[in-house]
Amino acid sequence: MKRIEVKLSLPVVAPLLDVIRELGNGLRERLAAPLTLTDLDEEFRDAWVAELLVAQSGDVELLLALFDGEFFTEGVVAFDEENAEMIVRACAAVRLRVREHFLLPLGDEALETGEVDMLKFAEPVRKAFMCYLFLATVQELIIQHLDASILES
Amino acid sequence: MTVSGIPSTEGNLGDCNGKENSVCARDSGVFTHRSVRKIYSSSLPKHTVQNELQLEGVWRVVVLNDPVNLMSYVVLVFKKVIGFDEPTARKHMLEVHEGGRSVVWVGLRERAEAYVFTLQQWHLTAVLESDEAH
Repeated sequence: MKRIEVKLSLPVVAPLLDVIRELGNGLRERLAAPLTLTDLDEEFRDAWVAELLVAQSGDVELLLALFDGEFFTEGVVAFDEENAEMIVRACAAVRLRVREHFLLPLGDEALETGEVDMLKFAEPVRKAFMCYLFLATVQELIIQHLDASILES
Repeated sequence: MTVSGIPSTEGNLGDCNGKENSVCARDSGVFTHRSVRKIYSSSLPKHTVQNELQLEGVWRVVVLNDPVNLMSYVVLVFKKVIGFDEPTARKHMLEVHEGGRSVVWVGLRERAEAYVFTLQQWHLTAVLESDEAH
């Protein structure tokens, strides 16, 4: 089984985990992306959302579990064929929430280009932006190394 | 109707675990659009006629741009969910990125719903549009 182990800098990553956990926990009750279907019957829509929430919660739980006690001793996280798909999805969900909660003042164009002058923003926004970039890096790593596993699963 | 590069009847959703007609949103098969519709349909018989009318015709699965998801991630999702090859997935990703939207599948309503459901499970902003509206 293909597996990637990534050694992270604890002093850099540990402070970001509070933000990731807080937003991740909120994703148990609310979809990360807006539901844009307007022509669904209300009860069908509720069932649709409930099913998406179950899936989303499972993904996020797996992401949060990566950063457990062992992470704080070794600073290592591991991605493999078993968890890659769920982790990459969970990162997308949390990044959407980070934007919604903290990064709207940056503007969408700046977010897309990554050209952000962080000195203009307060500490919580800077920290959230670091989370946003960190999760994107995790996604890039997984896509770069485990793309084939995800497609074959 | 056909749209260049867009599968109208083929795709990854129907190939889950090699079972014909299974509409799979996850490997486990636990989370499926079909299960949502089945539960809904069986519990709400009064909506049958309305549902049948809604299911008629040709529908488009449209993915809208968002400023968050990475280009590489969107390409991966298109390959995984719709079954595009790399160049086609990239073409549709660029359509979304530059034009704000891309039609990624055209066909019957129930299958289109399944694609939208799975794309939403991957946190893309996907909508259904009736082909008659165009």
